[in-house]
Amino acid sequence: MGQSDIWTEKYRPTKFEEMVGQQEILKRVRSLVQALNIPHLLFAGPSGIGKSTLALIIVKELYKDSWRENYLELNASDERGIDVVRQKVKDFARTKSLGNVPFKVIFLDEADALTKEAQQALRRTMENYTNTCRFIMSCNYSSKIIDPIQSRCVVFRFKLLEKKDVSEVIKRIAEKENLQVAEDALEVLYEISEGDCRKAINLLQATASISPDINLEMVNIISATTKPADIKIVLDYALAGDFINAREKLLDVMLKESISGTDIIKAIQKEIWNLQIDSEIKVKLTEKTGETEFRIVEGSDEFVQLESLLASFILAGIKQKV
Amino acid sequence: MQLQTQSFAEKYRAQKYSDLVGQNKAIQEVQKFLKEFPKRKAILLYGPPGTGKTSLVLTAAKENNLEIFELNSSDLRNKAKLEKILKPASEQESLFKKGKILLMDEVDGVTGTDIGGVPELIRIIDRTFHPLIMTGNDIWQSKFVELRRKCKLIEMKALNTETVINFLKKIIEKEKIEENIHFLRQIALKSQGDIRASLNDLQTYSLENISSLDYLEKRDKEENIFHILKLLFQERQNFLGLFDNTKMSLDEILLWIEENIPKEYKNETLANAYLALSNADKFRGRIYRQQFWRFLLYQNIFQSAGISYAKKYPNHGFVKYDRPKRILKIWLNNQKIAKKKTIAQKYAKYVHYSAKRALKDFNTIKIILKANPEIQNKLKLSEEEIAFLEK
Repeated sequence: MGQSDIWTEKYRPTKFEEMVGQQEILKRVRSLVQALNIPHLLFAGPSGIGKSTLALIIVKELYKDSWRENYLELNASDERGIDVVRQKVKDFARTKSLGNVPFKVIFLDEADALTKEAQQALRRTMENYTNTCRFIMSCNYSSKIIDPIQSRCVVFRFKLLEKKDVSEVIKRIAEKENLQVAEDALEVLYEISEGDCRKAINLLQATASISPDINLEMVNIISATTKPADIKIVLDYALAGDFINAREKLLDVMLKESISGTDIIKAIQKEIWNLQIDSEIKVKLTEKTGETEFRIVEGSDEFVQLESLLASFILAGIKQKV
Repeated sequence: MQLQTQSFAEKYRAQKYSDLVGQNKAIQEVQKFLKEFPKRKAILLYGPPGTGKTSLVLTAAKENNLEIFELNSSDLRNKAKLEKILKPASEQESLFKKGKILLMDEVDGVTGTDIGGVPELIRIIDRTFHPLIMTGNDIWQSKFVELRRKCKLIEMKALNTETVINFLKKIIEKEKIEENIHFLRQIALKSQGDIRASLNDLQTYSLENISSLDYLEKRDKEENIFHILKLLFQERQNFLGLFDNTKMSLDEILLWIEENIPKEYKNETLANAYLALSNADKFRGRIYRQQFWRFLLYQNIFQSAGISYAKKYPNHGFVKYDRPKRILKIWLNNQKIAKKKTIAQKYAKYVHYSAKRALKDFNTIKIILKANPEIQNKLKLSEEEIAFLEK
């Protein structure tokens, strides 16, 4: 059975009533929209819980059929430089809106990916064009948005979706798509998603691409094949003293799965505590991991720094044996 | 003292194989190649300057009673020129029915202005009726990849100091120069295995007859990277100048060190070495970010002394160093995942998502796209992109 569309899009709520979770926020935003006047908004919270969806609902409610003409969506993690703010944003912001709402809306998704310079450039634009343009920004961590911007926005903190919310979304989709979702499959879909609705829906659709019968086993199989390669293999090689293989595997994982050095570091940092080594050594390794992350963030070469970290794991492996 | 009009280097150029010092292996290989021709069409003699590459070819011609047809870097060597001059020579018989050797001297001097030179050379190798010998110093440039595959590579190593001294002693006898072993040693050391350089220095010394060699500037030779790695890992001497005599940048050398540390170091010393390298890299990063070039000093020290002193005692023995593989791997991978990126971009735009995150979730997305042609249409995936999904 072929599917006709991507479900995260097909079943994206288009009205306030269709959204699950975030009820407090919905109430307040709704009243703002009804008054046809919104301030600059900052949506903070993890991914897959409705930030972009709410932004889209706002513009659709405001402009009805002409929302596309009055709306610019930019993803800051793909276009994060100052040039974007100076050109695309400014060009759009300074022209007048169409229709009876006196302003347009720019949605800056993942605004925490904007460089500091770009954020600085943004703050003037936000003020100078308030009359013709309102900003909605989304971010995972509001701490990564500079204070002057936060102070110009009304900040809404989105909460993780609860199990009942995610379950409801899955059930709705299952009904429309004629899927049989077993109760334990529903459970594990939620667990894997960690409250990220997009993740849950994607996993559901991937599983349904194989069979309309969604059971526990199928979900587990699909989720296992889609998991990024394990960093543990790399660490195991290193602890066993095999640097050459550890290094090769590390580069493979980074290249094949397009994983950045900082994400590798995060994975390693988590994995350290699952390793079969003394806690004393774990602390030492964590210290080195922190230093490595710091250096990468500071602008050193990811791979050279990670190699140095791997070499410390070799040492840890030796100490453990003694 | 006799009047000297000819340079020692030309005067004492080898006339027969036995005049060539320290290159017996290369001589055997060349002789074998000439005997077996046309089993192989071409060879490439490589090694540092002054090791006797050109002399070997000229001597080989004399020993085998062959003519020489030579093109060197003073000649224009673009496609048209090679076609007009080298190609006919490679296809015609020589005068008086003697055989001939085609000598393409200083092949690494075939530069950017010699447009199409290297590809034409490769075509000529395929068709030549006469053995073709090329010489060069730096044959590891990427533009010679194809050429390297086409010929047998024969290395001519830099001569060791004792060999150079013994060679100079013979010259001294013939020239009736007063012998001074101390100066001979100094000349030999400074030449770094370059016979031609040592002859030039000897001649200058005997002409001026001054008792110090200080005026003989140390030759600004380009050290090859393999030699530098050996000095770094195994010899532990004059660190701060270690990287001065190479055209390679510090950053490029860093990649070479990065690749080869595991060949020289294990366990604790390996960790020490990578710590030093990561320190060098830390300062490299700061130079780039802050444009504070004084940090180059620190990068240099960590990258030289830091690496060398990762171990209490230097290593010995022959180690075969590898070329850095990482950059090539990254490049190959980028070629491979180019389609993945464009798919992620199309997907991201469609679902109000960032391409970066779409790449992270690509495994799941791929299953969905692969199974559903209708969705492929909606995203306007190209045929190549669809083919990528099938892989």
